[in-house]
Amino acid sequence: MSQEEIYTEICNAIVNLDEEKAINLAKKAVKEEIDLLEVIENGYAAGIRRVGELWEEGEFFLPELMKGAQIMQNCMDIIIPHLQKGSERISLGTVVIATIEGDIHSIGKTIVATMLRAYGFEVFDLGADVPAEKIIDIAIEKNADIIGVSALLTTTMIGQKKIIDLLKEKNLADKFKVIFGGAPVTSTWVEECNADGFADNAIEAIQLVKSLLNK
Amino acid sequence: MLFNDWLEDNSKIILFNGAMGTELIKRGLPPGKIPDLMNIENPEMIIDIHKSYYKAGSDMCQTNSFGSTPMNLKRYNLEDQIEDIITKALENIRKVCPKDHLVVADIGPTGEFRPPVGSATLEQWHSSFSTQAKLLEKGVDLWHIETISDIEEMITAIKAIRGVSQKPIIASMTYQKTKRGFFTIMGDSLEKCIELLENEKVDVIGANCTIGSKEMVELFKIAVKLTNKPFSVKPNAGQPRIEGARTYYEQPIVEFTKDIYEMIQNGAKIVGGCCGTSPQTIKELRKIIDSI
Repeated sequence: MSQEEIYTEICNAIVNLDEEKAINLAKKAVKEEIDLLEVIENGYAAGIRRVGELWEEGEFFLPELMKGAQIMQNCMDIIIPHLQKGSERISLGTVVIATIEGDIHSIGKTIVATMLRAYGFEVFDLGADVPAEKIIDIAIEKNADIIGVSALLTTTMIGQKKIIDLLKEKNLADKFKVIFGGAPVTSTWVEECNADGFADNAIEAIQLVKSLLNK
Repeated sequence: MLFNDWLEDNSKIILFNGAMGTELIKRGLPPGKIPDLMNIENPEMIIDIHKSYYKAGSDMCQTNSFGSTPMNLKRYNLEDQIEDIITKALENIRKVCPKDHLVVADIGPTGEFRPPVGSATLEQWHSSFSTQAKLLEKGVDLWHIETISDIEEMITAIKAIRGVSQKPIIASMTYQKTKRGFFTIMGDSLEKCIELLENEKVDVIGANCTIGSKEMVELFKIAVKLTNKPFSVKPNAGQPRIEGARTYYEQPIVEFTKDIYEMIQNGAKIVGGCCGTSPQTIKELRKIIDSI
């Protein structure tokens, strides 16, 4: 089997949500010492991108999207320890993500976190109902590039603004890009808060984070 | 039983209530607070909303118990208060339910999904719905399981309720419109949901929330061809416009009621409203129903 054929097979395994096959191919790639970075980019990442497209097109739904991202993650857990030193898949960036204090809706935020991880970002998911101060503390600690704040309630959106205000207060406004998520968030709100962007869904969130980091 | 009489009476269109959540927000529900807690903290506000719906012409209204499952309350650290919350929910609505009108138990989703999206199990769902249903049973006339996006969660709720009650069940899923038709976010098609709900022998099949009245008209045209069961529709008042931290449902009431009228003409048995609808909406619907 040529390397191209292996990449295609990996990509198809992810798109078909065939976990067993995707994992066997990861093991095979490690065993046969194929260029693992190529395997990730042309196989697994290509597959997860296609899963994302199918979701956007309404062919896939939440279970397929999440399953695809989880299979990808399990395969990465097999491959990454075998990457040769100096050839680590360079993390595309570090994202600290949370649902804001007072809001317990975590599903959208979890999907974004899972997809960002699958695409190659380092993600720290702090969960739901997280105070603005804590989100900022952890972003500092992890030297994050991006802070992602989700709010599903119009009543808790104000907490998203608090992040921006606190960063200004602490003179940290230039250190992080802050992006918003959640059903009620609009471009008007983002402008009003002076945030760096928002996304309507997980795939848009990936594009947004990539463009903010020039990746 | 009154509800069954209504179902059997071909000339009867049952008028449900409108939204609870958006009415509470209008009245200043504080950020991040679960509406169900208001049964205890501000019963007057809840009573006032129920009263305004019955007065506007609703034949039946729902208890303020959408989120009162142990699984959902746990996320607010309120699971210990479930008995108080539901007892008060029943008291609040019973106080103002007029004679020959009904009290409907409102059952919403647990907020926890099955793998791979979340980590809930069928057993957890069943136990959670069962606890909620046991507490509501004594004070309600029928059940409305609503805003559910996983048909398995719906079936589990139906089974849990059947374990504690013989009363009628309305089972409303929430759909979004995709280019392949109406699906829940979990990927259950309208066709699949109707088939499975027929198998469960629920009394009424329904759809509520997510979509506005225009799309509900479209959904209902498809649904009516798929089932002979009575059907319930509770659409949102159009799509919300969000400005700053506030949400506005600006669809003119007359547009909403026109769409509901079309659904009644096409055979809808139970009509009402979800997010963004108000007692004023119900009042207008009452006029339309009475004029038919």
